[in-house]
Amino acid sequence: MATPTDVTTAAAADDPATGLRAIRALRELADRLEALQVANARDRGWSWQQVADALGVSRQAVHKKHARSRRDR
Amino acid sequence: MFERFTEEARRVVVLAQEEARTARDPSIDGAHLLLGIALTGGPGAEALQGAGVDVVRLRTAIREVGDPGGPLDADALAALGIDLEQVRRTAEAAFGTGAIDDRARERRRRASGHLPFTRASKECLQHGLRQALRRGDRTIDSRHLLLGLLDVGEKRTTAVLDHLAVDRTDLRRRLGESDAA
Repeated sequence: MATPTDVTTAAAADDPATGLRAIRALRELADRLEALQVANARDRGWSWQQVADALGVSRQAVHKKHARSRRDR
Repeated sequence: MFERFTEEARRVVVLAQEEARTARDPSIDGAHLLLGIALTGGPGAEALQGAGVDVVRLRTAIREVGDPGGPLDADALAALGIDLEQVRRTAEAAFGTGAIDDRARERRRRASGHLPFTRASKECLQHGLRQALRRGDRTIDSRHLLLGLLDVGEKRTTAVLDHLAVDRTDLRRRLGESDAA
């Protein structure tokens, strides 16, 4: 596995293709972890408002992104 | 909206729901709607056939495309100093195998009953209505539904159609769009 201290990797980080690829990977990972933790919070009885507060976004935004159906109040 | 659906279009929706349930997916998305259209065998299916897409090729493509999110890019994350394996281990310790990799996690959460449409696939149906209105058609059939899928560019639909190398312009022409917008 590539090590972050590798000189070639560091040099390649100046290249926007590599940099943007890293952003994309990070975003994808963050999305998956978010889905996991939102489900976890909801399973434990957290309200959408509490989840939104923890994420620093609006209730509407988190509900729109994660609620599976209108029944998911 | 559904009251404007032809018998055939309703069948598309019913079949899409069945496909989602059989695949144990958590919701009905564009891939299921595509299968529903192909399985119903109406004008939408004919247009797909003309573009070289039948049920068998669709099922194969859906299986091969898998989760459109794709596998996580370990190398790219390592360049940022993130050890994906460690993240994975921590997540799996807390939430079980496949915590960050596996769509099947979501499936186990849903017991039975009606499966919901994804937000995007609902948008596809609404765009189908829009297409019908734009063409002055009183009812919505499988051609409008297929146009709706093309208009919205829903994730799995796009992945599957790209995988099958479908010519979108040609397909739109077959669906009666004189100007491929």
